[in-house]
Amino acid sequence: MFKQFTENIDGDQVYLIASMGIFVVFFIAVAVLLIKLRKKHVDYMSDLPLEDGALNSSNTLTL
Amino acid sequence: MQPEKFYYDNKIVRNFGIATVVWGIIGMLVGLIIAMQLYKPEMNMGNQYTTFGRIRPLHTNAVIFAFVGNAIFMGIYYSLQRLLKARMFSDVLSKIHFWGWQLIIVSAVITLPLGITTSHEYAELEWPIDILITLIWVVFGINMFGTIFKRRERHLYVAIWFYIATFVTIAVLHIVNSVELPVSLTKSYMVYAGVQDALVQWWYGHNAVAFFLTTPYLGMMYYFLPKMANRPIYSYKLSILHFWALIFIYIWAGPHHLLYTTLPGWAQSLGVAFSIMLIAPSWGGMINGLLTLRGAWDKVRDDVVLKFMVVGLTAYGMATFEGPMLSLKQINAFAHFSDWIIAHVHVGALGWNGFLTFAILYWLIPRIYQTELFSKKLASFHFWIGTLGILFYVVPMYWAGFTQGLMLKEFTPEGILKYPNFLETTLRIIPMHVMRSIGGTMYLVGVIAMAYNLARTMMQGSLVANEAAQAMPLEPFKKSDTELAWHRRLERKPIKFMIISLLVILVGTFVELMPTLTISSNIPTIASVKPYTPLELQGRDLYIREGCSNCHSQTVRPFRSETERYGEYSKAGEFVYDHPFLWGSKRTGPDLAREGSKYPDAWHYNHLMDPRSMSPGSIMPDYDWLITQKLDTSLTVAKINAMRTLGVPYAPGYEKVANRDLDKQAKGIADNLAKDHIKVSSDKEIVAIIAYLQRLGMDIKANKTPEK
Repeated sequence: MFKQFTENIDGDQVYLIASMGIFVVFFIAVAVLLIKLRKKHVDYMSDLPLEDGALNSSNTLTL
Repeated sequence: MQPEKFYYDNKIVRNFGIATVVWGIIGMLVGLIIAMQLYKPEMNMGNQYTTFGRIRPLHTNAVIFAFVGNAIFMGIYYSLQRLLKARMFSDVLSKIHFWGWQLIIVSAVITLPLGITTSHEYAELEWPIDILITLIWVVFGINMFGTIFKRRERHLYVAIWFYIATFVTIAVLHIVNSVELPVSLTKSYMVYAGVQDALVQWWYGHNAVAFFLTTPYLGMMYYFLPKMANRPIYSYKLSILHFWALIFIYIWAGPHHLLYTTLPGWAQSLGVAFSIMLIAPSWGGMINGLLTLRGAWDKVRDDVVLKFMVVGLTAYGMATFEGPMLSLKQINAFAHFSDWIIAHVHVGALGWNGFLTFAILYWLIPRIYQTELFSKKLASFHFWIGTLGILFYVVPMYWAGFTQGLMLKEFTPEGILKYPNFLETTLRIIPMHVMRSIGGTMYLVGVIAMAYNLARTMMQGSLVANEAAQAMPLEPFKKSDTELAWHRRLERKPIKFMIISLLVILVGTFVELMPTLTISSNIPTIASVKPYTPLELQGRDLYIREGCSNCHSQTVRPFRSETERYGEYSKAGEFVYDHPFLWGSKRTGPDLAREGSKYPDAWHYNHLMDPRSMSPGSIMPDYDWLITQKLDTSLTVAKINAMRTLGVPYAPGYEKVANRDLDKQAKGIADNLAKDHIKVSSDKEIVAIIAYLQRLGMDIKANKTPEK
């Protein structure tokens, strides 16, 4: 399965390796962001759809 | 500080909802007609405006941009207002957006059957409509960002990030893939040619799936699923990872549509690698959705809305697992060009987009009409007939894809093709196509039942056009509130968010597109490849008008099964004058890249007039109007000039004599036909299309002759 990636690149490995590198850096950056998030904020954000401020709906209204 | 009272605009949501249902029925009906055309050529209805090649794009455009498009706007206009605790920025812009979008769809419904098309899949609409799409998209953007700016909720929920990414990426995709040089009001040429055009088109095509059929729906999933289940999303952190990883990776995967073509190998490898990586964020999103229902599975048994969501999410999971598998070269080798791809996209379209849309409609319409759904039983019927319809659709298509894919590659022990006649493989899968249209009918019956159910719901309730709501106004942001977490800061800065999203999607775009578009050594030239003659160019434009590339590819992949069947495999240099490229993506009929001189002119004449006279059992429609219609040569000069502007080396001043050359070549073909007792005047369209078909692949053949 992985043979095709290593053998069929026609000497242009630099593209493949560079883009994998970019992805790894990107992935780590997002992971760091996630770790730094506080639980209170996460809970607050998760509840956003459930509180829409509508006066006639059954949704809880928090002001 | 006092809470502010304001009103949500439900009328615009309702309007997009009605448009979703109406266009959905029309788009699916056209789909059903073209499905039947594939086993009953009479369903082409004997006229040029309803042939498969012309209305297959009508089906795809109608379901993608009319059905799904209107559903996206319905979902966004409903959820955006509530997530931001603000009415839409401008009622006028909302109206312009709604009516402008319907105008675009009506233009498509008129122009596509007329054969006015660029031939780029899912971007077939000609340049004036492209400009209209751009304008309306900007109106949508202003309306969305205007709402974001006047919001009463500081932080932007994950659904809104998906909407922002959709807006910005579709804008980039649409503009880059619509760079055309107009020849007349209804005709243009792509500025890119051959391999470059193919890469741009499939970068677009793949990401139209990503950013029109996926990201806005994920945004809607992240809003509506918690509402429907009345519980927050399973993991908000996972949704952040899902978002960034998805938009970053998706943009790279386009080249998997061009495996084994003349696209540079490194670009193909990149496409495959990133396609496989895509499983992770896609499944992350699906799992996040399904786990939101943890502890609420008892509700799924009773609530038809949740049933639609669960099947929709499962279909998303299946399609996003299958996609990466299909991009593996070994699987792609026989799945590509086959009905397997049709099955794959319909798992996504019918299951994911369709079912999510239905769930949202069933949930939202009773709410904005302040009533109950007219009939839960009927909605349940819709769910079951829809689910069965999907199965009856996709299972025969998988079967057809495997059967034909394997038959086309099968050799006898003596080493010759077991099924040298392509038609034999077509006829073998006709029963599967009949079954598929039964599945499609079932699905459509369900949608019609929903339309009735929703109409009755609307009649029994009354629309709350302006729904009262209240929220505290947004206080000015205080410096003392400095937030440490970078992402938390980003969630309250919409423009920064848009720019970062744009940068993220541009990384993959640049790495993949720039080398192929700018480094000439990526496309080795072939000396014997010459520009098309004026008659061939006109014939090529007829080939585009009739949508031949919807069923016939023009690229031979380097497999023995293909070189034996069609001839030498395609080279990048062969396509340098092809504005646009015409490689196609589906082989309902055989490849035509090496069609030139394979058959005499008379064969093509008879075959176009009545395909079954030459190939008994053929499912190709008759093209008898090509024999009676006169070729329009009034644009020849403009076409030659346009091609020269795009870099095709026609000699200076050639446009002045182009029509003379055209007449001369046409007369030669008419004389040749006369020898076979076919009387046709040389100014008819059929002469031009024969000239084009006879040219296909001849440059390579000319290259070979001296070597012998």
